[in-house]
Amino acid sequence: MHAISKIIALHAGRESVEVGEIVNVVPDYVMLNDRGAARAADLLRKMGGDKVFDPAKVIVVFDHHYPPIRQQDSVSQKRTREWIKEQGIIKFHAGEGIGHVIFPEKGYAFPGALIFGTDSHTVTNSALGCVATGMGHSDIASFLALGYNWLKVPEVIRFDLHGEFQPGVYAKDIALRIAQLYGEDAAPYLGVEFSGPMVARMPMAERLVLCNMVIDFGAKTGYIQPDEVTAHWMAQRAPHSTWTAQTTDSDADCGRIVDLDVSAIEPLVAVPHDLSTIRGAAELGDIRIDEAIFGTCTGGRIDDFRVAAAIMKGKKLAPHTRMMVNPGSRETYVQAMHEGLIDVLIEAGATIGVPGCGPCSGCHQGMLAPAENAITNASRNFKGRFGSPEANAYVASSATVAASAIAGRIVSPATKISQ
Amino acid sequence: MHIKGNAWTFGRNINTDLIFPKMWFRPTYEPGEMASHLMVGIDEDFPQKVSRGDIIVGGQNFGCGSSREEAAAAMKEAGIAAVVAPSFGRLFTRNAINVGLPIITSPRIDEEILQGDLIEIDLSSGQIRNLRSGYEARLPPMAPESLKLIDDGGIANYTRRVLEERRRAKV
Repeated sequence: MHAISKIIALHAGRESVEVGEIVNVVPDYVMLNDRGAARAADLLRKMGGDKVFDPAKVIVVFDHHYPPIRQQDSVSQKRTREWIKEQGIIKFHAGEGIGHVIFPEKGYAFPGALIFGTDSHTVTNSALGCVATGMGHSDIASFLALGYNWLKVPEVIRFDLHGEFQPGVYAKDIALRIAQLYGEDAAPYLGVEFSGPMVARMPMAERLVLCNMVIDFGAKTGYIQPDEVTAHWMAQRAPHSTWTAQTTDSDADCGRIVDLDVSAIEPLVAVPHDLSTIRGAAELGDIRIDEAIFGTCTGGRIDDFRVAAAIMKGKKLAPHTRMMVNPGSRETYVQAMHEGLIDVLIEAGATIGVPGCGPCSGCHQGMLAPAENAITNASRNFKGRFGSPEANAYVASSATVAASAIAGRIVSPATKISQ
Repeated sequence: MHIKGNAWTFGRNINTDLIFPKMWFRPTYEPGEMASHLMVGIDEDFPQKVSRGDIIVGGQNFGCGSSREEAAAAMKEAGIAAVVAPSFGRLFTRNAINVGLPIITSPRIDEEILQGDLIEIDLSSGQIRNLRSGYEARLPPMAPESLKLIDDGGIANYTRRVLEERRRAKV
C-alpha cells in the first residue's frame, strides 16, 4: 500500500484498503473557517443534529472575513462564537491567520494524520506527511453530526524532483511548471506525492507551497514522506505530540512516477485567468503592475517575507504600483517584525493588512478595479478573484512578486537580484 | 433514474469562481437565492435563461477550484436535472453527490453535444443519448455508495436517517 492508503485505512479502522474503494473514515481534525462554521452549523441543524459528535476534533479559524467588513459577517461570526461555546469547541482562532498556515504552525497537522477542512487549500497540510483534503459544507455538517464521512482511496502520482534551482527559482515555480507540462487537471482525484533529492533539501515552507498547489492540479491530497526536516519541524512546533509516520511499501504502489529535473525551470508566471497558460517571467514583455498582492495560504509565511525583503531592501515600489501585504499568520507577522522585514516592506511603500486571506478571499482590502493588472504569490488568478472580473491577475513566486512590485512591471527576480 | 432535458454547454476548466462568484457568498441563503447567481461569472443572464429540467454540459475538469458547495447547490436549486462532462473537479463531484445532483462523467461528451440539444440519460441502465444527433454512449457505473446518496436526495437526508436510527437504538 501507499502511505496515503495506509493513513486512510488506519482512520477507517481497517488493516488495508484498495485504491478506488470508498470507506468511512474518522479524521483527527476538521477545520472550519468562518464561512464554513456558519454554513456547517446551519446545515447541521437542518440535518436534525443538535450536537457535534466530537467537539475535540473541531478547530474553528476565522480567516476569510476577519475582521468583518460587512454587517452580515459580524452577525454570522457572533452566532458562530455562541455556537462554539454551546458545542464545547475549545480550539478557536480568530485573527491569528489563515487556517492552512496556522495548522502546521500549531502542530494540528502531523505525520500520519487525516485532516478535513471547509476549504480547498486544506491540502497544504499534507506537506507534513498526512492526508488532508477540502470538503463542502454539507459534507462537513454530516461529519459533525455523525463523527465520520466517506472517502475514496486515491491512486497516487509521484513527482521525483532532482537537480539544482537556478537563481530566483522557488517551489512555486515547480508547481507552475507542473501546471504548464500537465495542465490544470494534471492529477484529477489523485494523491500527489513529491519526492527525490530536491524535496529532501527543501525547508518545510517550500514543501507547504508545493502541497498547497496540488488542489489546482485537481488532486485530493498531497504527500511528502516525513523525514528529518519533518521531525525537526514537529519537535519545534509540537514537542509533546506523538505521531507515527506511515511509509509506502514499494514504487508499485504509485500509479505513475514522473521524473522532473528542476534545473531547467526558470521563474514562471501564470497569466490570466487560470493556470493553463504559463510563461517565463523574463519573457512576458512590458506588463504594467498596478498592484502586488502578497500573502495568502500559498505565500504568506516567514520565508516569503525574508525573500521579499531581501529583494526590496532600500528600494521603493514603482510610482504607479501599490502593494498589499497580509501575513499568513500572527506568528509570521510578529517574526517578520522582529527581523525588521515589515519595516523594509513599509519603507518600500507597501500596505500591511491583518493576518488572514487578504484580497484573495475577495472580501478584504486591496480589491482591483476593471482593467487593472495585479501580480500575486497566491495560488489562483481566476476571473474576479481579487475584485473586478475585468481585472487581470498573474500568479508567481514571492520573489517574482517582490521584484515586479519594485519594477512596476513583471520581471524575473533572477535579473533583479543580479543587478 | 431517467433524465431528459436540453443542454447548456460550457468550456474546459470552468472553475467554481465562475459558477458561483464569491461576491454572492452569504452566511445563509433564502430559498432561490443561490439559483439566482448560477453561472453569472460566465453569463450574467444565465439564471433567467435556464429552465428546470435542463442539463449542464461542461468540458474537461468542470468545476475545478474551490470547495464552495454553492456551485453544485445552486444547480440543484435551479432544477438542473444533471451535470455532464468528460471530467470534473474533485470537490465539485463530492458536492454534487452530496446535494443529490446527478453528475455524469463520459469521455469526449463535450464534443458530442451542442447548445440546446435534447439529451436523454438513463442512470440505471447507464446510457446517455443525444436525441438530435443520435450519439449514444455507455456510462461507467457509479459507485453504489454515491448512487445511494443521490437516490436519498443528498447527504442531508442520509445524515438525518442515520441520526434517527441512532436515536431509536438508544431508546
